[in-house]
Amino acid sequence: MLARLAKRLAWAVFTVWAVVTLTFVIYNVLPEDPAQVIAGPQARPADVDRIRMQLGLDRPLLSRYGSYMTRLVRFGPPSGEKDDSSFQLVGPVRIDLGVSYLKGRPVHELLGKALPPTLLLGALAIFVQVGVGAIGGLIAANRRHTVFDWGTVALTLVGISAPTFLTGLALQHFLARQTRWFPIDGYGDTFSEHLHSGILPAMTIGLFGAAYYTRLVRDEMIVLLKQDYIRTARAKGQNELQVLFRHALRNALMPLVTVIGLNMGILVGGAIVTEQIFRWPGIGRLSVHAIQEHDGPVIMGVVILFSTVVVLSNLLVDLSYAALDPRARQ
Amino acid sequence: MFDPRAFRRFKSNRGAVFGVVLVALLAVFAILAPALSGHNPNASDFQNGVGAAGRPIGPSGAHWLGVDNLFRDLLSRLAHGARVSLLIAFIATAISITVGAFVGLASGYAEGSRLQAIDTALMRFVDIGLSFPYLLLVMAIGAAVGEVTITTILLVLGLTSWFGTARVIRSKTIQVRSLDFIVASRALGQSTVPILLRHILPNVAGPLIVIASASVAQMIIAESVLSYLQVGLPPPTATWGRMLYEGQRMVAVAPRLVVAPGLLIFVAVIGFNLVGEGLRDALDPQED
Repeated sequence: MLARLAKRLAWAVFTVWAVVTLTFVIYNVLPEDPAQVIAGPQARPADVDRIRMQLGLDRPLLSRYGSYMTRLVRFGPPSGEKDDSSFQLVGPVRIDLGVSYLKGRPVHELLGKALPPTLLLGALAIFVQVGVGAIGGLIAANRRHTVFDWGTVALTLVGISAPTFLTGLALQHFLARQTRWFPIDGYGDTFSEHLHSGILPAMTIGLFGAAYYTRLVRDEMIVLLKQDYIRTARAKGQNELQVLFRHALRNALMPLVTVIGLNMGILVGGAIVTEQIFRWPGIGRLSVHAIQEHDGPVIMGVVILFSTVVVLSNLLVDLSYAALDPRARQ
Repeated sequence: MFDPRAFRRFKSNRGAVFGVVLVALLAVFAILAPALSGHNPNASDFQNGVGAAGRPIGPSGAHWLGVDNLFRDLLSRLAHGARVSLLIAFIATAISITVGAFVGLASGYAEGSRLQAIDTALMRFVDIGLSFPYLLLVMAIGAAVGEVTITTILLVLGLTSWFGTARVIRSKTIQVRSLDFIVASRALGQSTVPILLRHILPNVAGPLIVIASASVAQMIIAESVLSYLQVGLPPPTATWGRMLYEGQRMVAVAPRLVVAPGLLIFVAVIGFNLVGEGLRDALDPQED
């Protein structure tokens, strides 16, 4: 078990490294010249050259890659130099994501500031997804072949087909601009304001997952409700709600655990667009700005953070298989 | 795969038929684009398009759906947007499905044989691909190549979306490969490539078609997201995503500028999803 864990962990680290390397190569072989972008279209060639030298962009690709990677992970205490942009990850391991071209601040600082809003949004979205999914699936499965069931299936199709930005714009228009129930955009200053502002973006991101999970729970419940132990529970006079929630739904939610983990990528992808619509100051908005402004170090930082999250949640899914399903332990 | 029973099942599925109708209507709309309105999608009409207070006019005899913020014919732009959207979605799907199918076939066939290393390497690569921040990557490439053309978008969308397909086709190949008729043709001395293409490929075509149909829907979304975030095709090309972005600022004055492209994106996606679900139910019936 421990050997397997170590192997999986090593593979996870390798995957992140591969993603980082690929991104570095793709981003650096493309024709866009960051020095020109930073200097602006009117800049004199001499100024562009000076900026290129300062950023080290005049060196060959392999040398730049080498210095990026050796800087990225380091062991030991902070260097104490003025331009040290590293932070302590665990113990002696320090991570240095470099400095933003445009803001002149360490990338990890920008990421650290953008992370809490995105985490809050993600948590709210998962709450929406699982809540709607469990209840919708339960109703549809329990009222099979009725209007409830068909209605739910039709609604889930709409949920799966509506692109994030359409849902977002529609919710923003009807529930914020017209009715003023929610703020149109922004993040607010206090936690309750964060929550209030977060409801619409969370619904936007969560809609796809809610629809998807409703179907998943429905299909799972239809099979489960035919099982002998459910009939036994009903036969012994168990309260119907208890049968549905304690016996059936609990088992129907098991596959959801894996799917939630595997859908982390979709969640983050949805956040990129949604945060843009609702001006939510999270990682998604940070990355869109970085891309529009060609801020290479920030883009790399976001990619590293993103792929680490995805790889780690896949790892957790693998491990939770073992924890939840004794058959997978062998 | 050309099972008449599957075709009957598909035909009797009302949702699937509705999906086909939606997709067909969109295709006709896209094909008839130039004839439909008689207007150049990129030409501003300052004679008939300017309404009261210099605002773009609404539906009228000259412009059936009115004009947009730059006084260009809305209907014409929607139709040309349909062309761009469908063209990109179909070709990008073709690229993605082809690559995914070949990787999946090769990987599945190599699995457990003396070429196991190929399978391991390919699947590791797929793992890496699935850990990529897909949308972010697409946007970063789009932004960094400077001049974005249809080819760039096709390559970016096509080459970053085949990983899931490869996984599905791999596991299907592993199932099919041990069927008797495959074993028999191997015993008769048939070599690997013909076996893969002539015997295994037709047997994994079912899931492939289903994935392709869902993928077209995903590609339509991806293209419109890129355009909406202004890292897709540059103006003045009419794309639904960009029209939505441009219309947003005038939503109070002319909601149709947002509603029309939004509705078309939604209809296109739901159409292809319905077809995909119909195909899945028809090709892989699961009794319960």
